[in-house]
Amino acid sequence: MVINGRDKAMPCLYKYIMISPIKIWRRQKEIRKIIGKKGKVLVWTKIYTPGADFKKYAPYPVVLVELKNKEKIYGQLVDYEDSDLKTGKKVVSVLRKVRSSSEEGVIAYGVKFKPL
Amino acid sequence: MIGVISYGFYIPKYRIKTEVIANVWGKNPEDVKKSLMIEEKAVSGIDEDSLTMAFESAFSALSTVAVDRNKIKVVLFGSETHPYAVNPASTILAEFLGIEKNYLAYDTEFACKAATGALISAQALIKSGYSDYALITGSDKGMGKTHDVLEYTAASGSVSLLLGKDDLILEILDFESFSSDTPDFWRREGIRYPSHGGRFTGKPSYFYHIKESARSLFKKTGLLPKDFSFAVFHMPNGKFPVQVAKSLGFLPAQIKDSLTVNYLGNSYTASALMGLMAVLEKAKPDDLIFLCSYGSGAGSDSFALKVTKNILKKRKEFTKIIKDKKNIDYPTYLKFMEMI
Amino acid sequence: MSKLIGYYTTQFGELWEKSLFDLVEEAISGVLKQTSLSNKQIDAVFFGNMLAGVLENNLHSPSKIAEILKVNIPIYRAEAACASGGAAFNLAKTYLDSNSNKNVLVVGAEKMTDYSPEETITGLSAASSGEEQEAGLTFPGLYGMMANYYLEKYHYTEENLAYVSVKNHFHGSLNSKAHFRKKITVKDVLSSPYVAYPLKVLDSSPISDGASAVILTNNRDLIKKQKNSVSVIASELVTDTISLKERKKMDEILATKNAADIAFEKAKISRKDIKVAEVHDCFSIAEILAMEDLGFWEKGTGGNKITELSTMFGNGDSLIVNTSGGLKAAGHPVGATGIKQIGEIFLQLTGQAEKRQVKNAKYGLAHNVGGSGGTAVVTILSS
Repeated sequence: MVINGRDKAMPCLYKYIMISPIKIWRRQKEIRKIIGKKGKVLVWTKIYTPGADFKKYAPYPVVLVELKNKEKIYGQLVDYEDSDLKTGKKVVSVLRKVRSSSEEGVIAYGVKFKPL
Repeated sequence: MIGVISYGFYIPKYRIKTEVIANVWGKNPEDVKKSLMIEEKAVSGIDEDSLTMAFESAFSALSTVAVDRNKIKVVLFGSETHPYAVNPASTILAEFLGIEKNYLAYDTEFACKAATGALISAQALIKSGYSDYALITGSDKGMGKTHDVLEYTAASGSVSLLLGKDDLILEILDFESFSSDTPDFWRREGIRYPSHGGRFTGKPSYFYHIKESARSLFKKTGLLPKDFSFAVFHMPNGKFPVQVAKSLGFLPAQIKDSLTVNYLGNSYTASALMGLMAVLEKAKPDDLIFLCSYGSGAGSDSFALKVTKNILKKRKEFTKIIKDKKNIDYPTYLKFMEMI
Repeated sequence: MSKLIGYYTTQFGELWEKSLFDLVEEAISGVLKQTSLSNKQIDAVFFGNMLAGVLENNLHSPSKIAEILKVNIPIYRAEAACASGGAAFNLAKTYLDSNSNKNVLVVGAEKMTDYSPEETITGLSAASSGEEQEAGLTFPGLYGMMANYYLEKYHYTEENLAYVSVKNHFHGSLNSKAHFRKKITVKDVLSSPYVAYPLKVLDSSPISDGASAVILTNNRDLIKKQKNSVSVIASELVTDTISLKERKKMDEILATKNAADIAFEKAKISRKDIKVAEVHDCFSIAEILAMEDLGFWEKGTGGNKITELSTMFGNGDSLIVNTSGGLKAAGHPVGATGIKQIGEIFLQLTGQAEKRQVKNAKYGLAHNVGGSGGTAVVTILSS
């Protein structure tokens, strides 16, 4: 609606919609190559205030891992004890659900890490 | 001869004790444990589902054999907690395993016997010459309503079997199946938790179908209970398999190693197969194993399996692996099962 | 030579009554009034904003500004995550370097409080790579990783980081436009809840609304008529990888280092000449890294040096940092920050900084970073 010559229309409210299934499909081709790989933690943190897609997993640690082939991968750390949160910890990549979007969307599977 | 050339299993890290659940609902934990014969059950994390667990067991099964994955032309995924109502988890599994693309895949459902039914179909596809290998998986993140007996028994787990013709660990000597329309346990489309008919799940359901299926296999093969070194039954709780084994003429010593339900709970389609995993840790070459699944709705598949000498090379640890566990409390359990 | 002749900022904070373009309008009218210019005298506008497209489906902002200003001039939007304001300014200066006798308006604005924190956090994570987002690494998560790495490598604790927030909150108490104007202690910081280990609520800049605007010109006649003017003697924008994991070093923002090196070379002055600076403290660790990467402190010494509070207003006459309150206390309406920083230096160099006036400041520096270090803008002003 126009008030005093200026557009006062309410812009679209931000709504979290389904993650694009095509993006998930493209991404999963890459995921395949990095599951079941061993590596060590380069740096870690623990997230207490996540974004909408990750709310139900919080709090969760996220690690940056260097695989044996020198590739660097980010991922949440799962099935861990607090004592596992340290630089140099040996981990292995596993397949897990990585984010929750709408109940109707395609499930996003991806890589997380488990302490060895 | 068709049979199992490799196997894999996955049990999630977490456990919840029967007494923890019982205390929430004001029940006497000892009474519950005595009636169900379950000490604790396996619980998967919030980010795990039947597919992620199937991947773990299948990855394990495939990693211990040198098989050209392009020759695995059959991939069957049995579950009653499929990630989707419509969309095959079997192809998601195959894709993550690097099985490419000239293969037959489908998902199966028959309550807790979805995977053994798939096993029968899979071996037929190898026998007919369609494929040299077949991968079957039973995987479930078992759900149970709170304050219901299923809360103590419904658990998570997965077992995968790679079937083939050569270098078998287990030969499938013969099998039988018995089916009827019996509504003992079911879940409607769109409804989260299964429902069941209480005591109706016993005599007219579990016991009737298993006994008939077993007897028809004994009749067909001429084998008797005493011929088997081990017997493995579907385990909805710790009492039923013990009772049905006895009524068929098996001795306690024959089934004691298979009773994974006591410390892992009932992982639905992976339940009987998990009992098989425990038994394979102990089985010797030439042992005969009787495997009998049960699926509500209802039906039962019976198998006569023979252990070969290849078990000595390919045997996997079971008892040690499942000891890597962490006990959780009730709110954590509800969080992991996304019930809160 | 481009000169900055005027600056206006709205209040920063939770501004429920104002929409994004209400704030833009306020900043634009404010700075025009300050410089006694009419909208017709503006030759081009540069607009810095990050989230309007993501959060409220609001794009084509140049056209919206044209509607507000009632003009038909070139208007451009710049986006570089949290360096959107700095990027807009850098583009404006570059425009003036190639067009003579022009007056340019640079405005940065952000509206962040219309949405839930989760939605805003998700929007802000658009500044990070797809992989970082997929791993659930929020913005605080990325700086948390840098903080953990830094503290471990140089043997500091969370307490070292806390001094940044203490200093900046003290400065905020001297700035009526700041989001937070209450002083805090090290103990307050250490007992605040974790956001992303080891960073806590009081290590982190807030979610704020606000808009800031400056006017730049190379029109000599106009400059002569203006009461206040400072020269922009350098403005450099440098980029680096978006992914933290692809950077050469995890305890250094290379984009800052390179932008500073080039800026000081072009300005022909040294670090010692800078008496007042606004550096990008989106998190406490960021200010420490900035001081090192800009070349004021030696790498690895920041954790210790900050505890001396030598860069706090009133503590002697060497470099004072973030008199506006920084991002931490003044607030961080993302697109506006880069402009506010430059504006604060303008106030300092023209004696308009009131209760927080640093004496005898001839040269000042503003430092604006995008994301976890993917973009850095270093601007040097002289009076």
